[in-house]
Amino acid sequence: MTIIQVALTAGVIFLGLYMYLRLRSTLFDVLLILLFIGAGVFLILFPDYANTIAHWAGVGRGADLMFYLGFLFLFFLILKLYARLRRIEQNFTELVRKKSIEEAEDTAKKNY
Amino acid sequence: MPCYNEAAVIKNTVDELLEYGYKVVIIDDASTDNSGNQVEGLPVHYIRHRINLGQGAALQTGIDVALKKEADYFVTFDADGQHDVKDIPGMLQSLEHKNHDIILGSRFITGATTNISFIRKLFLKTACLFNYLFTGILLTDAHNGLRVFNRHAAKLIRLKENRMAHATEFLLEIKRNRLSFSEYPVHIRYTVYSRKKGQSLLNSIRIFFELVLNKIFD
Repeated sequence: MTIIQVALTAGVIFLGLYMYLRLRSTLFDVLLILLFIGAGVFLILFPDYANTIAHWAGVGRGADLMFYLGFLFLFFLILKLYARLRRIEQNFTELVRKKSIEEAEDTAKKNY
Repeated sequence: MPCYNEAAVIKNTVDELLEYGYKVVIIDDASTDNSGNQVEGLPVHYIRHRINLGQGAALQTGIDVALKKEADYFVTFDADGQHDVKDIPGMLQSLEHKNHDIILGSRFITGATTNISFIRKLFLKTACLFNYLFTGILLTDAHNGLRVFNRHAAKLIRLKENRMAHATEFLLEIKRNRLSFSEYPVHIRYTVYSRKKGQSLLNSIRIFFELVLNKIFD
């Protein structure tokens, strides 16, 4: 085993444990996490299989295929996060707006 | 009237509007200067956002308040004094006359006057083009803060863009709600003060991205 294989395997297992501790909800989640960890570790330890899959998909190296997929996935994640951020901002705006109008009405009542 | 840090000029602007007998709703978007003190004691509706939300959000709050006060006609007016109160009666007349839902001020059609610089004009004309691409509505002016609309339009328009992209969002809302509209020549006074607070190139790039994201998510 090379150093990079040890580092990546440790990283993947750590991520898996972390996710398990954070989510730890349904059996389905646990199975999904296990599946990803298993696939990750397997491809790290036997990179030739990744290469085979990459060749099948028309990509030169397994690492490149992972990079492309990873990039797509991250981009998707950013969009999802941004959508959520917008929703939060809209809710927050409504809250501040409502409070501002109420406060103004209260002052108006006091003055008359 | 949205207001953010306009203590130096807001009183003048409001006084002019009051002189003409208009009811004024001021949305102080959490100014950090004493804009609020400047209008204290004046017969206006003063609403203060506790947290700075942006001009678009302030306009929407203003529309909400005016709707609550049973207003029949709505005018958006910049606090920095660049607009001319004398344009409002004409715009209201035009609204009634043409039976339109909304009248948009323009500084670039016949009858309008402005002491605009060439660069700024180029800027705004480019913005018009982008607005056309985003909304399908081609206007002669962009980012003109003076608009007049009726209660029907006020009820339908819902600005979600908190910051500067709301100017384009106004057009999107016109389109979405099938509101009838036209432009009206207005007089814009560029002062050293309003120029300093105006839009920069960086801002327009930011607006562009806000609009792209608006298109993706809404």
